[in-house]
Amino acid sequence: MKFRKTSAGLGLALSAALLLGACTSPEAESPSTPSAGTQTTGGGTATGPEACMQDVGITETKEGQVSYTGGPGDWTGYNSVTSKTYSTYNSAVSAHMFSGFVYFGTDGTICNNEAFGTFEVTSEDPMVVEYTISDEAVWSDGTPVTVNDFLLDWAAQNPEFLVPGFANGENPDATAIFDHVSSSFAEFVPEGPVGEVNGKTFTTTYTAPYPDYKLMVTPPLPAHIVAQKSGLEPDALAQAILDRDAETVKQAADFWNTGWLFEGGQLPDMSEVPSSGPYKLKEGGWQSGNSLTLEANDKYWGTPAGTENLIFRFIEDAQMAQALQNGDVQVINPQPTVDTLTQLDGIGDSVNVDTYETLTWEHLDFNFRSVKDAPKNVFADDAGGIALREAFAYCVPRQTIVDNLIKPINPDAVVMNAREVFPFQQPKYDEVVAAAYDGRFDEVDIEKSKEKVAESGVATPIDVRLGYRAGNQRRADQVAQIAASCKDAGFNVIDSNSESFFETEMPNGDYEVALYAWAGSGQITSGQNIYGTNKAQNFGKYSNETVDQAWATLTSTLDEDVHLEQTKIIEKELWDTLFGIPIFAHPGLSASASNVQNVRSTATQDQVVWNAPQWVLS
Amino acid sequence: MIRYIAKRLGISFLILVLGSFLMFVLTINSGDPLAEYRESNSPNRENLIKQRIAHMGLNDPWYERYWNWLTGVFRGDLGQDIKGQGVNDLVVQAAGSTLRLVVIATVLAIVIGVILGVLTAIRQYSGFDYAVTFMAFVFFSLPVFWAAVLLKHYAAIEFNNWIVEARFTPIQIVVVAVVLAFILVAALGGPWKQRLISFGIAAVVFAGALFYFSAVQWFRRPMLGVPLYAVVVLAAAVIVLMLTSGPQNKRVRNAIALTALLSIVGYAVMRGPLMANPTTLMLFLCFLGGIAAAVVSGLALGGFSRKQAIIASCLVAVVASGVALADLMLSNWNSYLTQNPRPIPTIGSATPNFSSDYWGHFIDAATHLVLPTVVLTLISIASYTRYTRASMLDVLNQDYIRTARSKGVSERKVITRHAFRNSLIPLATIVAFDFAGLIGGAVITETVFGWQGMGNMFKVGLAAVDPPPVMAFYLVTGTAAVVMNLLADIAYAFLDPRIAR
Repeated sequence: MKFRKTSAGLGLALSAALLLGACTSPEAESPSTPSAGTQTTGGGTATGPEACMQDVGITETKEGQVSYTGGPGDWTGYNSVTSKTYSTYNSAVSAHMFSGFVYFGTDGTICNNEAFGTFEVTSEDPMVVEYTISDEAVWSDGTPVTVNDFLLDWAAQNPEFLVPGFANGENPDATAIFDHVSSSFAEFVPEGPVGEVNGKTFTTTYTAPYPDYKLMVTPPLPAHIVAQKSGLEPDALAQAILDRDAETVKQAADFWNTGWLFEGGQLPDMSEVPSSGPYKLKEGGWQSGNSLTLEANDKYWGTPAGTENLIFRFIEDAQMAQALQNGDVQVINPQPTVDTLTQLDGIGDSVNVDTYETLTWEHLDFNFRSVKDAPKNVFADDAGGIALREAFAYCVPRQTIVDNLIKPINPDAVVMNAREVFPFQQPKYDEVVAAAYDGRFDEVDIEKSKEKVAESGVATPIDVRLGYRAGNQRRADQVAQIAASCKDAGFNVIDSNSESFFETEMPNGDYEVALYAWAGSGQITSGQNIYGTNKAQNFGKYSNETVDQAWATLTSTLDEDVHLEQTKIIEKELWDTLFGIPIFAHPGLSASASNVQNVRSTATQDQVVWNAPQWVLS
Repeated sequence: MIRYIAKRLGISFLILVLGSFLMFVLTINSGDPLAEYRESNSPNRENLIKQRIAHMGLNDPWYERYWNWLTGVFRGDLGQDIKGQGVNDLVVQAAGSTLRLVVIATVLAIVIGVILGVLTAIRQYSGFDYAVTFMAFVFFSLPVFWAAVLLKHYAAIEFNNWIVEARFTPIQIVVVAVVLAFILVAALGGPWKQRLISFGIAAVVFAGALFYFSAVQWFRRPMLGVPLYAVVVLAAAVIVLMLTSGPQNKRVRNAIALTALLSIVGYAVMRGPLMANPTTLMLFLCFLGGIAAAVVSGLALGGFSRKQAIIASCLVAVVASGVALADLMLSNWNSYLTQNPRPIPTIGSATPNFSSDYWGHFIDAATHLVLPTVVLTLISIASYTRYTRASMLDVLNQDYIRTARSKGVSERKVITRHAFRNSLIPLATIVAFDFAGLIGGAVITETVFGWQGMGNMFKVGLAAVDPPPVMAFYLVTGTAAVVMNLLADIAYAFLDPRIAR
């Protein structure tokens, strides 16, 4: 059976900030009414609306500039959703040049961008969502943002009328016409956005209730530029898409694919690259390999950018601290290492340093392949089974790992006890963990572990190949600590790192336990792909009816409460059958010069630059 | 000769092709180009993986990928990198960036290294010799990233804090003056008494100068001006005269004097326009004018020593142009400082979002070059110093030097004319190699200072398991090495006619 993506939209803000377990969103059906359900107790980090952008009282753009760096990757193009340009670096820039209906808050909450427009689920069967774009919304060249832009966004994902059999996966040989990184919009909304050409409202219709619909409609590119550059009338392209006129639409593909990708440092005429966000490209502002300068978009109708110029610099992580200290940049988001943190702390009061947890999480996954397929797999249900898996879980020193490897960076780090929710997503995390897990593996218990080994009937010493991708010191350290601890229980943990772990060993099942991380995706339903029987990312061949059933229920409704209930069931079952052992959420590190106000870290992949339009120099 | 060159080129070509094969196979087996998507849980993961496989041809067998690349090269197309950027353009940009970064450093390293090498050879086994040898080895073994961190801290962050006031404390003045005087005296040599006197004078002069600089905040608003310019150019002319023909040769002396005079007058006339409204073309024309003046003076006044007069005059003209450029930059330093209160950056090749006049951008480019140039110069000075010293000592011990000395040729002439020139012959090879290595870039220096040069292109390409940039790097550096090697051999035959025979 060919795998069908259970995917939703390409995350919003194009930018990738994709996270797991987004059941946090307090607004289920009616996006404008916050529900009380999720913000009852006050413990921990902000969830819900507090995680969204706060009003910081900006009324006009101030002179000045703020430099930010998130890494060495150069900017490569205005269209950041082609396979060539899709990267976190490009997305970080695009997030401020294109606005859409939603964006991610600091903990992964999906927040509504009401300045851009509103949306509403008008019917659940079939599921229909009605979108209204703000009347004020215009591109920086004055052209209104309309349905045309969303029509092109849908057509660019190669829908059925353009490339038969592509988006729904029926024809694996179909070749895409638009080089778009995603095809979910075309797959889940086969009829596309429905509305008048040049109109401000449209509807999308889903074949089945689809919980991740908010992420489906992403900030669009300017369709009028594509039409003009492809030799079409602006309305003709939109009309052609509505008319399913494939020949006309194909004319636009060439410009869409390559016309917005530039050779280093060479920006086109500014009229070809308008913006619908608070910032726009600045003429001559791209120095290849060095910097990209944005300027405030004077046509932006929402809250204006706080500072006139936002500069992206392309700087190696190890060089960021000194660049910050010297004032070459004002805000940095380096890879979190103890060295960098020490360096930043040493600078003193002129710099604010922030450490936090991100939506990427480290975990140990068991191999569930039967011994017929993987003869050495002691954890298979027809070998050591659940008893041996438990024995292993009892000896994995999770607290020690967090204390030794993560706390030096983020003193607030905790051992993670769930998979679909993160410790900082309170109070939901506590609620789910309370329902799913009783704390039995919190402490290393060698005696218990030995008992379980005996119960499983597997003779010691038990060889356990702990596989992970080579080249990651922190994982090597974790394996060493696990090996030292589990030795006493009779496990002989073998450090089986490999350069080709994901390509060879993992698909072949040549491991007993895999150590890796999931970088969260912004969906409610993405976990189905990992834990569901025979799903594409279920690398360990786990199969459990209760889990499959719970996912089926979860993905077929928009009801928040059902999502939460099913998440509890899934988590409990995954703990009881020991799918794997979550360890910790990866730490994050950001720092800013103390004269830049409103810098706010985020757990998402949007990075700290997510609220750059609110940065103001004091 | 032509047959020899053709044969060498033919063999080199085969080696390059074989090497490219090896390089390609090693690169594509060095990792997983899809690694970044493996742990991604994003909804479009499958799509992304599919697109990358199609773009890079990952499902093709390795020999087909290599063949595609190779035939592309013969068509003049180096392919696209992992992000779909044309590698042809990338190479041009990277090479440009690398050249800007490395040329000045290499020239500086050669000049300083050779001077130090000659001095240490003349003062063999003196304290100065030991000190230079010691420092040379220290710098040679200095890890670049570490040196860069220190430099960034002291020469950028601390310097930028200091330049706000630009004043020295009395202790700083004393310490700096004493150290500088000590170095100077160590290099000068001579009997103890004379050294002590020189040391005292030098220390007082340095201290006075520092005090003056500090008092007027010279480092915030420095300037030479035409009078000081004249003094510096005349001093340079005297030094050039001493090093080339000596004061006895009237023809050379007159040619040099005329060149110096013309330079001073020319600069006095041109300073105004150059300050107000300069262009690169104008600067270049002024430089050419200086050289032309030197050539004319040499031709007109050189007489029998025409060749020597022209060379010496040109040297003076080059130095005069350099000093003029320095004066222009210094005069514009203050306005740069007001625009950019922390002038020395730790990273990058230009200040972003910086708009200024011609000199503002000129100084901006220079300040971005300072730190990486210092690092690169320090580490490559060492080898030049050592090679020059050894070669110079070798020559100084030859019979013909003894003959020259015994027939009463002055020590200055023995060293500048008989010894120094011959000692440079072996250096030709090293310089050629260095220039070949130059285009390859300085991987670590480029990384720590954020320059997107050849080394960085190679590094990034390899990290992404992306063959086209890596192979482009290989092609450029490999070709440069082959060509430079050949040139070195030919030049060698030229410089030392015994080889050609």
